[in-house]
Amino acid sequence: MKTVMADRRWIGQHRDLGTEPVSTETCTSADFFELERERIFRRLWINMGREDQIPEPGDYVVKDFTMANASVLLVRGKDMKVRAFHNICVHRGNRLVGDEKGTCKNLFVCRFHSWAFSPEGDLKWVSDESNFYDLDKNQLGLRPIATSIWQGFIFINLSPNPAETLLQYLDGVTQQTAGYPFNELSVVFRYRVDERSNWKVVLDAQNEVYHLPFLHIAYPDFCPLNERGFSRIQDFRRFGRHTVYSVEANGTHQATKVEQVTARIVPYAEKPGTIAWFDFYTIFPNMCILFLGNTCMTYNIWPIEVDRSVWEVTIYQPKAATASERFVQEYWACRLRDLLQEDASNHEAIQASLKSGALTHFQLQDEEIQIRHFHKMIREQVAQIV
Amino acid sequence: MTALLPIEFADLEGFADWALPTTRQRNHKRLTSSMDQIQPFYDAMLTRIDAILAYLDGFNLQEMPADAQRLMWMALSLAEVSDAIELFHEPGVTGGCDPSRFVVIQEPNP
Repeated sequence: MKTVMADRRWIGQHRDLGTEPVSTETCTSADFFELERERIFRRLWINMGREDQIPEPGDYVVKDFTMANASVLLVRGKDMKVRAFHNICVHRGNRLVGDEKGTCKNLFVCRFHSWAFSPEGDLKWVSDESNFYDLDKNQLGLRPIATSIWQGFIFINLSPNPAETLLQYLDGVTQQTAGYPFNELSVVFRYRVDERSNWKVVLDAQNEVYHLPFLHIAYPDFCPLNERGFSRIQDFRRFGRHTVYSVEANGTHQATKVEQVTARIVPYAEKPGTIAWFDFYTIFPNMCILFLGNTCMTYNIWPIEVDRSVWEVTIYQPKAATASERFVQEYWACRLRDLLQEDASNHEAIQASLKSGALTHFQLQDEEIQIRHFHKMIREQVAQIV
Repeated sequence: MTALLPIEFADLEGFADWALPTTRQRNHKRLTSSMDQIQPFYDAMLTRIDAILAYLDGFNLQEMPADAQRLMWMALSLAEVSDAIELFHEPGVTGGCDPSRFVVIQEPNP
C-alpha cells in the first residue's frame, strides 16, 4: 500500500524531498567524484579550521585540500587579519611553506630562489630582481583565496568571485546558533581517521539516530526510544543547503559508575545545545557541528579519492580549570572516541558492498530524512551548469 | 624506594604503571592489557576516585608536583579503561574499527 506522505512526521512537512530510494552511484562513480570536485569543493564555502589555531600575528597553518587540488596557507597578518592563499611561490610554482604550522616572524622565504612574501601576502623580495624584465612586484603577491570567518570558524571559497557571502551561504544556521558561546570553545581532542570509503558514506553513517539502539554498545540509551524501542528525533530543520536534527536527553539513561562520578562534577545534561540536548548540524558539503551537553564537536570529512577519505574529529569543551574537570573531559573524549570507532567499523564494509554494484539504491526511512536531504543537495549542486 | 604517589594514596602504588602522560599511551595500555589486569586497577581507582579528585583539585593543573601528576594520569587512565569494564567487557571496542585508525593529533596538555 502506498505511503501517504502527510501521514509521516518528517516527509509530511518536506514533501519536496520525495520518498524514493536514493542512488548509491554517487558514492562509487569516479566521474561523479570529479564533478563534486569542480562543482562543490572548488565552488562553495568550506571550513578549514578555527581562528584560535592562529592566534598571534604571523601564525599560520597549511591545509592540504586534496579534493580541490590545493594547498592552502591560512595566516594571520601583522594587521591581525586572517587570510588564505594558495601555498605557491609565484616565481615558478614551488610550494612556499613546507611545514604544517608555525609562526612567520618576518617573511615566508621560498627555498628555491629566495623570493620572499609577507604574512599579508605581498611580494617583498626578489633575488637578482634587476635581471628580470619589467617585473611588477605589486602584481605578484601570493594568490589569494576568499576567506571569511563565522563564530571563529575559518571558511574559504576557491571561486574567483563567490556567488554568496559566507553568512548568506550559512543561511539560518547563523541565527539558530547565535546564542551558543562559541568563544568559550577550546579544543581538547582532535583525531584523524583514515577511511577506506567515500566521504558521503562516512557522513551518512552519522546523519541519523536510527542506528543508535542497535550499533552502539558504547551508548545504547543515548536518545529516548519510543514504545517499540526505536529512536525518534525531536526536530528536523532546514536552512538552505544545511540541516539539523535534534534529540532530547534520555531521562531514563542509566549512567555507568564512572559516568556517575563525572555527573557529580558536571551534571549530565547541563548545557542545552541550540535546540535540544543533542543537535547535529550538517553544514553542506562536508562539515558537521554537534552540540552534545557541554561538548561541541566538529567533523570535517575530506574526500581524497572516490573510495578514500579522511575524517577529522574535533572535540571542544571549555578549558579545564581543575583536575576534576580534566577528568570529566578525558572520560567523555574516550567515550565519544569509542562510540565513533563503533561507527567507523561499518564504513569500509559499506564501500566494498557498493563497489560490487549489487546495491543500486539506499532505502531511507522517515527518521533518515537528513540523509535524504543531504543527497538531494549533492545531486542539485553537481547538476548545476555554470 | 621513593614513593611514586602522594602518601595518602600509597595503597595505589602497585598500579603506578598506569600513570601515563598521553592519551595515546593510556589507550595503548588499555588495548594491550587483559581484563585480569584492567579489573583490579579499575576497582581500586573507582573506590578512591572522589578522594583522588578532591586531593588533586588543590593543585594548579599546570604546576603539579611529580607525585600528584602521576596520580592525575592514573585518574585519566581510569577514564580510559572505564568503557572496557562497564560497557564492552573486553579491553577493546567490541566490533569496532581498527583502533590504530584513530590517530590522536591533539590532546590536552597536561
